[in-house]
Amino acid sequence: MDQQKSDSDIFKLLESDTNKGFRLVVERYSTRLYWHIRRLVILHEDADDALQNTFVNAWRNISNFRSESSLYTWLYTIATNEALTLINKRTRNAAVSLDDLGSWFANSTEGSTWFDGDEAQVKLQNAIIRLPEKQRIVFNLKYYDDMTYEDMSKVLKTSVGALKASYHHAVKKIENMLSGI
Amino acid sequence: MKNNNKIPEGNPFKVPENYFEELNSKIFASTIEIRDEKKKAGLYMRLRPFLAIAASVAVLAILTFTGEKLFSPRNEYVSLSEIPVEEYSETILNEIDLLTLEENAVLTGVSGLEPDIDKKDIIDYLLLENIDINEIQEHL
Repeated sequence: MDQQKSDSDIFKLLESDTNKGFRLVVERYSTRLYWHIRRLVILHEDADDALQNTFVNAWRNISNFRSESSLYTWLYTIATNEALTLINKRTRNAAVSLDDLGSWFANSTEGSTWFDGDEAQVKLQNAIIRLPEKQRIVFNLKYYDDMTYEDMSKVLKTSVGALKASYHHAVKKIENMLSGI
Repeated sequence: MKNNNKIPEGNPFKVPENYFEELNSKIFASTIEIRDEKKKAGLYMRLRPFLAIAASVAVLAILTFTGEKLFSPRNEYVSLSEIPVEEYSETILNEIDLLTLEENAVLTGVSGLEPDIDKKDIIDYLLLENIDINEIQEHL
């Protein structure tokens, strides 16, 4: 379904009743934005913080949002930036390099890591963590969110061609790492 | 590309119980505070231009009033000749040019008010002042 068309009801409601329209935005996007952020920041507590900040940011700027743009890519852009802010903060404060799940979980203040994956999943997530930052985002958006390259181009401000190449390389790297190459 | 057989499927990340059930309420609650701040600020933002104009007018009025007080000539100025001498304060007298005083005395025709004095009155006066008439005679 075309995302733009499915958001047209939200645009109409935002114009007539901003509060109700924003409630609909939250209901429609909160879960998928959470998972997008979570896959980047790994820790649940960080994902929760970044998600709150995403919607606060969106609320502050909702009156400036133009319906000609895509609500979907606009929200993903905000969410991605919030996630990157948190990642940079973790990276700066971390005593060790954050190149695997273990080092990320070591930074958690919660009792649980909120991770329940088998050995294959641990290997996969470690491989994804080791990708360069932007390539990791490209891989996640394509592989997990099935985002089109055109929408991804709006979110990451990168050409479609570059994104296709980046995803192709990301897949190759992950496959090699999982194969032990 | 989810049909890539080499990459395992599934989501290994978990969330606390009821997290998503409570998530939306939590998000909306954190944005309501901002909404209330926006409403309060809204009235202020609408009145701001008028407040700015009123403030500018007030400042201009104060400056005009102060300027008039400082730089305008004294309205209470009165011609020296109209003021009785007894009312001159010491300050004013110190500032008065004696030549100006003399001119004013002439203008007001003070000389015309001189009394008509008889010679006999002069002699009587001098006697009262213990002045020796013979001494005067010698000088004349």
